[in-house]
Amino acid sequence: MLIYLTTMIDTKLLKETILQSISGKEDGFNLTTEDDLKSLCKEKFGGAGYQLVGSFDEIITSLLYGNIIILFKDMEKALSLSMAIGEDRSITEPSTQTVIRGPKDGFVESITTNVSLLRRRIKNRNLRFEKFIIGSETNTSVYIGYMEGTANEKIVGEVRKRLGQIKVNAIFESGNIEELIADKSATPFPLALNSERPDAVASNLLEGKIAILVDGTPFVLVVPAVLVDFFSIAEDYYQNFMMGSFLRIIRYLSFMIALITPSLYVGILTFHHELLPTPLLLGIIAQREGVPFPAVIEVILMEVTFEILREAGVRMPRAVGQTVSIVGALVIGQAAAEAGIISNIMVIIVAITAIANFVSPTYSFGAAARLLRFLLIIVSAILGLYGVLIVLVFIVAHLSSLRSFGIPYLSPVAPFIIEQQKDVFFRFPIWSMRKRPAYLKTQNPEKFPKTGSPSPPPMKGEQSN
Amino acid sequence: MDMLKRTYILKGIGDGMLKENISLSQLLTLLINFLLGSAIVVGVGGDAKKDAWIAIAAAILIGFGIMLFYYFLISRVPGNNFFELMEFGFKRPLAIIFSITYVVYFLYLACRVVRDFGELIASAILPSTPIEIISLTICLLMAYILYLGLEVLGRTSEIFTPYLFGFLFLLTILLFASGNANLNEIKPVLGDGVKPVLKALFPTLIVFPFGELIAFTLILPVVTNFKYCLRVSLLGVAIAGALLLFAMFLMIVTLGADALLRSNFPMLSSAREVSIGNFIERIDALVVFIMMLGILVKGSVFMFAGLKGLEYTFRLPYRYFSLPVAMIVSAYSVLISVNFGDHWQEGLEMVPYCLHLPMQFGLPSLLLIAVLWKRRKKKAKPGTKGMKF
Repeated sequence: MLIYLTTMIDTKLLKETILQSISGKEDGFNLTTEDDLKSLCKEKFGGAGYQLVGSFDEIITSLLYGNIIILFKDMEKALSLSMAIGEDRSITEPSTQTVIRGPKDGFVESITTNVSLLRRRIKNRNLRFEKFIIGSETNTSVYIGYMEGTANEKIVGEVRKRLGQIKVNAIFESGNIEELIADKSATPFPLALNSERPDAVASNLLEGKIAILVDGTPFVLVVPAVLVDFFSIAEDYYQNFMMGSFLRIIRYLSFMIALITPSLYVGILTFHHELLPTPLLLGIIAQREGVPFPAVIEVILMEVTFEILREAGVRMPRAVGQTVSIVGALVIGQAAAEAGIISNIMVIIVAITAIANFVSPTYSFGAAARLLRFLLIIVSAILGLYGVLIVLVFIVAHLSSLRSFGIPYLSPVAPFIIEQQKDVFFRFPIWSMRKRPAYLKTQNPEKFPKTGSPSPPPMKGEQSN
Repeated sequence: MDMLKRTYILKGIGDGMLKENISLSQLLTLLINFLLGSAIVVGVGGDAKKDAWIAIAAAILIGFGIMLFYYFLISRVPGNNFFELMEFGFKRPLAIIFSITYVVYFLYLACRVVRDFGELIASAILPSTPIEIISLTICLLMAYILYLGLEVLGRTSEIFTPYLFGFLFLLTILLFASGNANLNEIKPVLGDGVKPVLKALFPTLIVFPFGELIAFTLILPVVTNFKYCLRVSLLGVAIAGALLLFAMFLMIVTLGADALLRSNFPMLSSAREVSIGNFIERIDALVVFIMMLGILVKGSVFMFAGLKGLEYTFRLPYRYFSLPVAMIVSAYSVLISVNFGDHWQEGLEMVPYCLHLPMQFGLPSLLLIAVLWKRRKKKAKPGTKGMKF
């Protein structure tokens, strides 16, 4: 007898393979014992995934995973064949982390495809995946992937332990997992890296980190994550190291701009006029003459408006996209300034803040700057630049207390590791970055033997030494 | 001793007593920021006028001696901090009495640091904000950092230290570029003889800032690599001393000896002189922000020292005390003196003799003698050691 859920299986495949191979054959097999069944399976579906199931629960579970069940007469065990529906989104370019130069494939919703994307990049027997079933009601498959012999066993053990301790009913996205296994949840900073790019995840695996893949989402988590990971992207390593370093510095700069520009505006205009060169100050004051609000109200008004526009931009149906962008440009643009609600300089402040915020390569990290910006604006309105600095030190203290799977979040800057500085603010040439991150305490700290910089072969007559 | 240490840890409650460690580089940055801290804000060695830099140079040499002394004291019984060492030297009841005096002393010094900073902010960048608010905010920040622990303090100072160097470098370039620095101001060298230099040196320069290194007797034992501790500490004293010397030199050549003496915050006054092309000018507000780091570290280290004393006395993790103690410091930083003149005079005339000298050198010397004597006694009859327990 054949049992299956029509919605879960590929019916075409069923017709083609099973029915043909079983019914088209005269009863050459005497299916009475388990061993007979096993040998039949070996012969017929050698490659395909099959499993002998005994209990009622097991049968139901395998049905839910998209298997078909074959029940035999006078047999205690049933045969379960994997025939899950194969219709997934095809591999496309990632929509969040785009690059100019670099591979264009991205993870998809199917976890098996994602694992294969990683395996295709790292053809190494040490790449291990372990399966977990998480979510008492959704029974979502979660894989952890790591390089055995490289990744720190303690961290791998900690990841296993934390995944094992999760007791929720549903997991739909890796964000759920991220929140459940983080060392601390009361922080705006993400404690796990997420990526849609197989190349980025693969390179992190080789550094000795651990990937967590969740079925049903293209976002793969990478732990442990440190702050500097959120400023480096895969493309840094695909282009000239000077350009890579330059872009990385631009990213750090943008983060600071997104974080403090509005509060600097408030602080300087409210308390420290003297910091501006006099002509500029006169210009700003003249522009602000007709504005009825103090600087802080002006800034909060515009920043909130921008946040609303941004959210609308994400949520709106694609068809009305044009409308929102036109209206948005008018609201935070010239019209608002001409109406006397805000000053012209404010438009520049909001624009530069917004643009700088979009630079953040990981969306979840940019969110931290988006939130903390408002705290800074308010404190700056009360205590001026002194308040801004107090909050900045507060943020740094908070950051240095954070840990991601036991690894200090600010390493390798604090605690300072000098040899790791090759990949923090600057990206050194690939041949010089021979070591894996020391803060991870990997089992195999060297990536490759010392080679020295590439150089042309010695010319004729030149002494080679 | 091991036995004693173990019971001490066992009696500690919860995870707050977990051993924390700081790295050598963190120790180094803590030392540099600590020594620069309020010294660079208020200026030191003013008594020597033009020769203040000579006084500082001499003080650095004595500073090495002071650091060696504290290191020698602490390394007698490895792994024990100053208060535990007192227990070793004097037995617990007496040690508790001394600890409480030290707690008061350290917290008083924290108050002074916070007050210096409050006056600086109130006079330089936020003239209409009451000093109470400034004290309160900076103390809240210190409380938060200390609640998170010494490690966080070390890392925070590690992150901000490069900015300190960058700023000093920038200020130097700007001062010379704007033509305010006049190297002739330094002449005549030792014009009034050696006497003013000695007067500036003793006791003011020795006890402030170098003698205050006694707070590090609570930090040195938790450094991960104790072997290199001495080297790094001396390096820290050297770097901080050199920076202090350089800053003083800069102030003298920018302001001249007279203006230097009259100014409450000479560094700030020097920065005010900068003016390049009508664009880079009035950067004094920026100077203040950089000074804040030193103040923050110095205040936090003193507060940490005080908290450690409370931890020793009450056998409770020091984190529990961080907020209340910070609030006490905040309140007393306003109450310790009626105005800045009073505060200044107290710091120059009273504190060095009545507080600094006995607390920095008197008691520690006594303790050293007691510890050495105890250890000798222990060594002399090793056979009886086993019988005692």
